[in-house]
Amino acid sequence: MSESARGRVLDVNLHLLDRQIVDRDGEFVAKVDDLEFERGADGTLYIAKIMVGSRALGPRLRGRLGVWMRSIGERLSTDAIPTIDFALVTDIGSEVKVSATRDDLDAAPLEGWVRDHVISRIPGSRHAGE
Amino acid sequence: MRASDLIGREVRTADDESVGVITDLRCVQDGPVRGTQAALRVDALLVSRHHTGSVLGYDRERQQGPWLIRAVVRRLHRHMQVVPWSDVDSEGPPIRLRRTG
Repeated sequence: MSESARGRVLDVNLHLLDRQIVDRDGEFVAKVDDLEFERGADGTLYIAKIMVGSRALGPRLRGRLGVWMRSIGERLSTDAIPTIDFALVTDIGSEVKVSATRDDLDAAPLEGWVRDHVISRIPGSRHAGE
Repeated sequence: MRASDLIGREVRTADDESVGVITDLRCVQDGPVRGTQAALRVDALLVSRHHTGSVLGYDRERQQGPWLIRAVVRRLHRHMQVVPWSDVDSEGPPIRLRRTG
């Protein structure tokens, strides 16, 4: 990353993709699996959303692994690919920090489902800190 | 449009000469303010003959690291070009530039 007269300069592949996203409490949320752009009136592209999950990562991977990852993701969920509004980003460094909490974002629905339906049923799972 | 739609896409000149493939997208944080920060605007395409190793960043000047890997990746990407987004005529695929070869 560097600074230019116009503003901070960063490369998508090098500085954003695959970085960990952490919430305002420092909790891991997800990884930056892809980015969605929106187009300005003059055709300029701006980063609008962070896309997360296997269905976002699949198209970035070449060959069978990418196809396999995307199809697994599609079997697990038919909802829209989870996204995080880029306006929530507060800092980009070795990790991407966002101003919301992990629960607010609901960016990893599979992980949430496993937590609520599997982990929570394990005896003692609700008292880990005691 | 997604980053994955553009990265890996071939770039050709107006007279159909191949420039290479997009290995990265260079953004400048000078767009309209969203949240607490200015939006990141796609300013240029990094275009190389090879895709291999570009994600490591050694093809870019300031990136440090083991000299052997840096040397190999820089040799692979010695023809890397930084193509301003304003040079893009159509997004294809392939990306078509306004200029000729």
